[in-house]
Amino acid sequence: MTIEKPEMIEFRDVHKYYGDYHALRGITASIRAGEFFSLLGPSGCGKTTLLRTIAGFEGISSGAVLIDGKNMAGVPANKRPTNMVFQSYAIFPHLTVEENVGFGLRRDPRSKDEKTRAVAEALEMVGLKGYGKRAAHALSGGQRQRVALARALILKPKVLLLDEPLSALDKKIREQMQLELIRLQREVGITFVLVTHDQEEALVMSDRIAVMFEGEIAQLADPETLYRRPASRKVADFIGTMNFLPAKVVAEDANHTDVEVAGFGRMHLSKDQVMAGNGGEGASVGFRPETLTILFDGQQPTDRESMGTITEVVYYGDMTYYDVKLDGTEEPMRISMRNVFGRPVLDIGTRTRVAWSPGALVLFR
Amino acid sequence: MFKGGWFKLYALVYLTFLYAPIILLPLFAFNDATVIAFPLSGFTTHWFTEMLADPTLKQAVKNSLIIAVSSAVIATTLGIFASRASTRYEFPAKGGIMGLIMLPLVLPEIIVAVSLLVVLLGLGVNLSILTVILGHVLICTPFTIAILSSAFQSLDKSLEEAAYDLGETPASTFRLIILPLVMPGIISSLLISFTISLDEFIIAFFLAGTEPTLPVYIFSQFRFPSAVPVIMALGTILVCLSILLLTIAEIFRRRGIAKSGGKDTGGFL
Repeated sequence: MTIEKPEMIEFRDVHKYYGDYHALRGITASIRAGEFFSLLGPSGCGKTTLLRTIAGFEGISSGAVLIDGKNMAGVPANKRPTNMVFQSYAIFPHLTVEENVGFGLRRDPRSKDEKTRAVAEALEMVGLKGYGKRAAHALSGGQRQRVALARALILKPKVLLLDEPLSALDKKIREQMQLELIRLQREVGITFVLVTHDQEEALVMSDRIAVMFEGEIAQLADPETLYRRPASRKVADFIGTMNFLPAKVVAEDANHTDVEVAGFGRMHLSKDQVMAGNGGEGASVGFRPETLTILFDGQQPTDRESMGTITEVVYYGDMTYYDVKLDGTEEPMRISMRNVFGRPVLDIGTRTRVAWSPGALVLFR
Repeated sequence: MFKGGWFKLYALVYLTFLYAPIILLPLFAFNDATVIAFPLSGFTTHWFTEMLADPTLKQAVKNSLIIAVSSAVIATTLGIFASRASTRYEFPAKGGIMGLIMLPLVLPEIIVAVSLLVVLLGLGVNLSILTVILGHVLICTPFTIAILSSAFQSLDKSLEEAAYDLGETPASTFRLIILPLVMPGIISSLLISFTISLDEFIIAFFLAGTEPTLPVYIFSQFRFPSAVPVIMALGTILVCLSILLLTIAEIFRRRGIAKSGGKDTGGFL
């Protein structure tokens, strides 16, 4: 049992128009206090606009945005209990690191000494101890990112907003910063709202994720639910890889649906595996690549088994991706296998057994 | 890569043509003769002392400086408003409005001067330094906008947003963030409008009334052959002053770039 945390941000039927363009189409959702929340979607889906309505940079056409129970209508950005880390970091180039981090303390009534101490603490928190006197423009991308974080967190906001903060970094530094952001969020306990188009980043970092398409939230759930039980084919397609197969619903009652899938036969699915939103194309079932397993000699399936032929092999070092055309199916299925010491990578054309389980798939209809 | 010879010759001829007349200025300014001709007859600083003793000249210099400084400050201030508005905000008929503001850049100056004269006289305004300033602001403003727009354009919008986000008001953000970052542009703009105003002749000639500016004075003096060496001395001082001014501006510009970490995309020098 998790204890429901109080709501920090609430969107009530938020609409936003730019002229004729309907950028936000009725967003109703809430973000809990102290959680790491991500807005995930392709570019142009409205995720950044939604983030900017929290910060107060963007007005809304109708509806309401509440922060900590207070309606933010008419409250300008400089009076909101939020701080933002910008995609470009927006480090003030004419100031030093110290002056950047302490910028928000200008109106703080504390003494100069206390402010200096606060700046030093903030720099230490983001791992930039001793960088205070440096010119801001002389920093690397990762360091700018840290300065931007320290500058926003020093004000102890109720909500920290992060607009694609890692997109400009190299892969290695990005992965390192992801973990560091998680650590930082746990340490300060502030609600983080992250905007990203990178599904992997969202899965790694978030407590909960809102997937957005065309100004609407398609699904709001924790990473595992999102990955294992995507609410629509579009969400499933956006997050990770999924194999789709046409299916035919043959029987159904209140708790179960029976489907017939070519190459797999008849399956008995429970209610939580059935999703709406196949985009009006009849029904289809989806398998994640790791829910299918290639059986090597002597291995026994835990559930069911089919035969197929390998049509493509992609070797990733720790993983191998096989495309396998199962007997009786039209399209090959992508299967991911962890590479194990002593086990060979199979060749294209190999006949192989594939184990699967009806419990792992999702039906879209 | 180039054969070199012809290009070198071309560059030499070009530079000679450009600068030889200017080099002649100090030569004759220190020459002990009223006729501007070779051979030089001897060294003297007489023309400079004569120049400094001339009360009309002093008055003209004073007028010119007042006009140039005022025009530069007013035109740059107007330029800041216009560039900020045109680069940051959308408003109806923006293209048309900006086009009209920039128009004096290409309008024949004599037409501008004559129209201003007609209007001012029609309104019963007395011609004075103020009317010249008015005219110079009109022709300097497009230049300031051209310079300042590029300065404002290169400013990342999220810098302003970051300052609001950190608790600053639009006014304090302008003062703390925007102004320091566009300062090199503002200095360029002040300098260029100062220079334009200082050597502008047509508008000053039409609108100055009884208060001649330096170029108008020089023009009027050129009718008297005996005054020519004094003009040469004056010219020498003006050239030195321009070089000094430009150097100072360039130092400021480079310092500004170094401070904000931007790339040097060229300047005056």
